[in-house]
Amino acid sequence: MTGTLHVVFKVGGSEYALPAADVLQMESFTSATPVPGSRPWVAGVMQVRGRIVPVVDARVRFGLPPLERTLDSRVVVAMHAERAVALLVDAAREVLKLDPSQIKPPPEIVAREAMGLVKGVAQVGPRIVMLLDFAKVIGEE
Amino acid sequence: MDLSEFVAGFLAEADDLLALANSSLLLAETASKDVKQNPRAVREAFRALHTIKGLSAMVGVEPVVALAHRMEAVLRLADQGVMRLTPESVDLLLQGVRAIEQRVQALREGKTVAEAPVALLGQLKAIEAGLLAPRATAPAQLDLSPLLLARLLPMDREQLLQGIAAGRNALRADFTPSPEKAAAGITITSVREQLKAHAEIVKVLPLSVADTAEAPGGLSFVLFLLTDGTPATLSTLMIASGLTLTPLAAAPLPPARPDELAGEARARLSAQQVELAELEEESAGTRPGLVRVEVARLDDTMEKLSAFIVTRYRLMRAVTDLAATGVDVRTLKQIMAENAKQLRDLRAAVLHVRMVRMGEVLERVPLLVRGLRRNTGKQVRLVLDVGNAEVDKAVADRIFPAIVHLVRNAVDHAIESPQERRALGKPEEGELRIVCRQRGGNQLELCITDDGRGVDRELVARRAGREVPESDAALLDLLCLPGLSTRDQATTTSGRGMGMDIVRRVAADELGGELLLQTKLGAGTTFTLRVPLTITIIDAFSFECGDQRYVVPVSMVEEIVELDPARLAHTPGARFGASLVERSGEAIPVLQLAQIFGLSEKTPATRAMVIRRGGEATGIAVHRMLGQQEVVVRPMQDALVRVVGVTGATDLGDGRPTLVLDLAALAGAALAKEAA
Repeated sequence: MTGTLHVVFKVGGSEYALPAADVLQMESFTSATPVPGSRPWVAGVMQVRGRIVPVVDARVRFGLPPLERTLDSRVVVAMHAERAVALLVDAAREVLKLDPSQIKPPPEIVAREAMGLVKGVAQVGPRIVMLLDFAKVIGEE
Repeated sequence: MDLSEFVAGFLAEADDLLALANSSLLLAETASKDVKQNPRAVREAFRALHTIKGLSAMVGVEPVVALAHRMEAVLRLADQGVMRLTPESVDLLLQGVRAIEQRVQALREGKTVAEAPVALLGQLKAIEAGLLAPRATAPAQLDLSPLLLARLLPMDREQLLQGIAAGRNALRADFTPSPEKAAAGITITSVREQLKAHAEIVKVLPLSVADTAEAPGGLSFVLFLLTDGTPATLSTLMIASGLTLTPLAAAPLPPARPDELAGEARARLSAQQVELAELEEESAGTRPGLVRVEVARLDDTMEKLSAFIVTRYRLMRAVTDLAATGVDVRTLKQIMAENAKQLRDLRAAVLHVRMVRMGEVLERVPLLVRGLRRNTGKQVRLVLDVGNAEVDKAVADRIFPAIVHLVRNAVDHAIESPQERRALGKPEEGELRIVCRQRGGNQLELCITDDGRGVDRELVARRAGREVPESDAALLDLLCLPGLSTRDQATTTSGRGMGMDIVRRVAADELGGELLLQTKLGAGTTFTLRVPLTITIIDAFSFECGDQRYVVPVSMVEEIVELDPARLAHTPGARFGASLVERSGEAIPVLQLAQIFGLSEKTPATRAMVIRRGGEATGIAVHRMLGQQEVVVRPMQDALVRVVGVTGATDLGDGRPTLVLDLAALAGAALAKEAA
């Protein structure tokens, strides 16, 4: 089966994905240093291979109530252009190969309700995986 | 500096020099009465007068210049051995010193300085002229090669011959410096120091020799010594330094040769060469045209410059205030703009002074590899491809230990023994290659590559108790787990020192660079260090507010005051817990940092850092001051975290970022937002 590898993670019970090629690393979440004055969905900064990178709390970003962080909490550090940003998610443990034919544009209602953060929906067997528009997630227009 | 400052400096130095000239001449006088010469004393007197001449010319005291000039000329001839000082000539020189003393005194008292006494000048000139006549030649000659003899000053030869005549041992010691010796602390300086305790060192001559394994620098030294002990005691002492000692004998001089005088002339002509040789000798430990400076002095310069920059901001504000009152400040602004540019240039220049060549940083690596070769019995060829890259001294100091670790690892673990390599069909000699490049505007890339066995993923995974990593990056993560050793037993060379985790910590967390790994089983490994060429290091106060730690540059804090809750006057409204506190007779506002951050802090703040905000002193109260330390500031470039009042982040050693705050901007922004 052809296709590209995607990192799949969970936020608020739903599954999301980013192309594995854009993901720098994935690790357990220990802590982020809060940055006073930054946007509410920025959990703070952390060090990733010597870089100071912002941590975006995916739950807050998606408008979900905050959740006590657990042992399952992960940060997915992804690249967009020259920026490296960490996404704090509820859990992440899978890499899936997604064929372009599996990925459909999101239904209009999803696109609107998700503030444009979802750019595709993939059906993987019984599961629905949403492809994130990472640039939008990290605040780029 | 105006002239009066020069004069004060001259007066201070002249006294010392005149005292030196006097004591040296008195020693020379004693020797001259025995129809001998005290070469050291003559040399000292010559140098003192030479310096006096130069200094007095600088402040324009002509009579002193004239006297010192004539005296120096006489002493130079004596120093070069062209003449021997007689008691009469020393007496004239002492008169000259007194004449100079009188004139220096007049200058000090602000009186008119008398002309140089013409009679004395004439007599001094007469000695100079009269003594240009051939002198009585030395009765004996040193048993040395003509080449070495020519390099010795007549006064040195005389001193040696006099020593032999007095029954002392004249010795020649040969010393060849090498990197190994230098690593063991044995240098020409240490040899000198050791010899000094047991012998009189008459002369040290640097010799250029063939560049061989024995003399890797192509440089060797001959030391001429006079000793009262037997050469045997000295030689046992000096075995450790690899010094060879040869006794020197005085051979009877062949009958006067017609070219004797020409020889003296040659000796005089070569004085310049001798000086050059002495310079070479002095710089053997350093390098020509280089100054060694303690980093602290550079830091000090930078700090002074920072203070300058702060003053400039105040000046700018003053100009703005002035403009607000309707004054035309266009010319002032032009000057300010020019001044700003000059300041930027100056800052760049100071930063440039702090840069060191990577070639110099890596200078000791060949020595390290040589030692490792010996310890491991492995054959390793080191290839250095360093280029012209330069890094800040602070960066160099931090990465060097990491480089040492990587080189050690490569020789110790990666490169196989010659037998093993032969069995694998590899050349017996392994290759270790270090390549350095500047990358982009502000990054150094340093690759350390070996052609050894490569990193065994499965072995590393087993040791770490983890799954076998798929990528090199994941493998590196395992290697960087604290305390992971890929060997059952730590070897003598790699067992101690930093681990890979520290290497990565230095490169990544401390310097904001990265460490990369590329490895192929059986073929070799490359570690790549990428670090910034320059880093910003500041002296900072660290403190706690809420449950977070922060740092602020010491340079931004005027004072830290204790907050006595009983003596705080709370103001109406009390935004940010504002209150007034008395500080040296002045009431200054204090804001609670916790409240600026929108935190609810239950326990009262105990200290406040006084900062200046638009010229007004303001206290920023914090929960707990932690200490003061030097920190490396790393920029926070991402737009998501670029906020007012946060200038960067640092690592206080816990591996997580600690924010560097600009308290003035923070307070200003908070007050402005609240007011709006």
